[in-house]
Amino acid sequence: MDDFWYEFVEVTQTITDGLLFGSTYALIGIGFTLIFGAMGKLNMAYAGAALAGAYAGLAAFVLVKAPLVVVFGVSAVAAALLGYAIYFTCFRFIPTHNHLAALMASVGGLFFIDEVVVHVTRGSPLTFPSMFDDIYFEIGPFGIRGDLVFVFIIGLLSTGVLLYILFKTRLGLATRAVAQQDIAARLCGIGVHTTNSVTFAIAGVLGGIAGAMTAAAVGVLSPVMTVPLTVKGIIVAVLGGLGSIPGAIIAGLFIGGFENVFLYFRGIDERDMYVVALLFLFLVFRPNGLFGSTITRD
Amino acid sequence: MKRFCKVVSVGLVSCALSLSALTSSADRSVKVLGWGAQSGPLKSFGVNSETALRSAVAEINAAGGVKLGDGSMAPIEVIGYEDSACKKDQNIAILRKTASTTDAIVGMGATCSGSCQAMFGVLQKKVGDSSDSGLQMPILADTCIRPGLAKISEWAFRNVPNEIAMYDALFAWLSQQHPDIKTFSGGTETDQGHSFITHTAVIVQAAIKHGFEWVGPAVPELGPKVKQGMKELQAAAKTQHWLMGDTNYTVQARKIKKQNPDMILVSSHPFSACGFLKEMKRQRVKPKLLVGLTSSASQETLNGCMKEAEGIIIPTGFAPITAEAQKANDIVGKAGGFLDLHSAAAWENAYLVKAAVEAAGITASSDSVDADRAKFRDALASITASDGLIGPVSRDTATGEASKPYVYVQVVDGQWKVIHDPRG
Repeated sequence: MDDFWYEFVEVTQTITDGLLFGSTYALIGIGFTLIFGAMGKLNMAYAGAALAGAYAGLAAFVLVKAPLVVVFGVSAVAAALLGYAIYFTCFRFIPTHNHLAALMASVGGLFFIDEVVVHVTRGSPLTFPSMFDDIYFEIGPFGIRGDLVFVFIIGLLSTGVLLYILFKTRLGLATRAVAQQDIAARLCGIGVHTTNSVTFAIAGVLGGIAGAMTAAAVGVLSPVMTVPLTVKGIIVAVLGGLGSIPGAIIAGLFIGGFENVFLYFRGIDERDMYVVALLFLFLVFRPNGLFGSTITRD
Repeated sequence: MKRFCKVVSVGLVSCALSLSALTSSADRSVKVLGWGAQSGPLKSFGVNSETALRSAVAEINAAGGVKLGDGSMAPIEVIGYEDSACKKDQNIAILRKTASTTDAIVGMGATCSGSCQAMFGVLQKKVGDSSDSGLQMPILADTCIRPGLAKISEWAFRNVPNEIAMYDALFAWLSQQHPDIKTFSGGTETDQGHSFITHTAVIVQAAIKHGFEWVGPAVPELGPKVKQGMKELQAAAKTQHWLMGDTNYTVQARKIKKQNPDMILVSSHPFSACGFLKEMKRQRVKPKLLVGLTSSASQETLNGCMKEAEGIIIPTGFAPITAEAQKANDIVGKAGGFLDLHSAAAWENAYLVKAAVEAAGITASSDSVDADRAKFRDALASITASDGLIGPVSRDTATGEASKPYVYVQVVDGQWKVIHDPRG
């Protein structure tokens, strides 16, 4: 009985930690899915821009001892600017129907951002300031990290603000119109390129927040985080349903908990294998993801 | 008049020949080509090694360069430093390109142990074996530290410390200094060959050898000999290991916390070591002692987690504890890098190249590259001792390996401090 109780506590704790950390994956996934929803294309440079934004925030902390709120703000703004730059260089002038060219251009953008960061920082990991790092809630045998709760709350707030913008503002209306039918939107007087560029910027804000939150949760910022976050973000976006924001939120939390559980039971060698296997199962049996629009096969 | 013209003609011809000779020796240089991780998670190691190598070469050249076989002086020229990205195929490709298309007499660097192992494998195994079509290009490595690699080929040389000896001596010392510490556990990154194998084959076994009890997942096969129980340990402890780029260490830290060890081994490079140390702090894991991986005795660890790494002890082949080490540290610092046990080896290698070139009588002319490489290899193989930055380095002529002095460093008040100097 003691063994059962011990395992129960451990697994519950593992899932809780995973869910809380999964909010960072959800934010990254939302960014991928937002851009896909608007343009029908994947922006592979998204996570790279998010982390570059986090570096900008870190620079503000190191150079001028900016308070943490300013650090996160600078991260968001920097990532938004990078998002706009990526749209302009990798998507704006590529024909709408050429998905592969935009994808490869964004891959190039990812490598470029990564190299710039690596050159500037010499590849060295850097301490990233954390909020509520010392707070650890102990509820019986369970422990919850205060900083992860903060990340979770900020993730929810960011998502709430995004949904408000999308469904309660003219900008959001324009974004949804362009996503549904860009020609009709153009005929209605909506500037497609302007709307898309603003969408990239908004996604960049989310990414900057996600990048800063992830770095704060880990406590360290390093270029090595770029590829794992890119992969996780895409998996979350696909599992949630490309174009579905609620789907990305749920998928992000689910992936966070899922990978932690498999790490607990099967170890580090197999953890990512199960995550990718889950992606494979979804692509085969439910390609539209949890909440995406129905995809018909030929 | 005729006699005068003859004298003038002879004089003019002599001047022309002298000028061309001067031009020739001025054009000659001893060429070396370096490569290492200039991208990827271990980029900082490759960047620092390049900085150290170029700085040392600049110092050598400022002092006059190296003496060639004909008595003239020539500079060492680093004709390039390629990015091998810790990828085996990339390392091999760079090696092949260097051997076939450049005048470099030696290849230097190669950050990762797995890459070195693959690269050494394409070299000729035994010098003079005409049946072996392997490359005949000397390689002098500074960072790939996994034990026993240089014996793969007689063209392979390393200037790296012996981790088996270092950790054996460290735990022997710790067992005397800290008799209150009885138990230990720990984790490592499984996707980096050096950390994973050193942790599971060397460090854990060295701790057991000196009386510390492993309280991680039960592994009956574990014992005091190198590699004893290595495979079983790798399988049993996989739920408390991580990957180099991981961002979540909650499961691993909690598992080790439950084991309640007196001492925790954090056998990984700075990014994941810092991530794990920070998670340990969040979960209030406070062991009596922390022991780290040699490669983490560096500025990156202080950059990433100065507070959380407080107290960690690591054996290292470099610390600025001698005048030469301090001078080299200052020079490399001004060049934008920093010295640690890996990049310090790159600095020392430049001087090793100088010594081998001068011993070999190399002429550094473009039509003698293969001959120069062979002479350089023979000279390097015959060097039995050299001056390291913190003390004399002895070299094993049979295996191409070095036996280097080392010290134990600990993070004290946010700085690396030497806490024990076993050099005697």
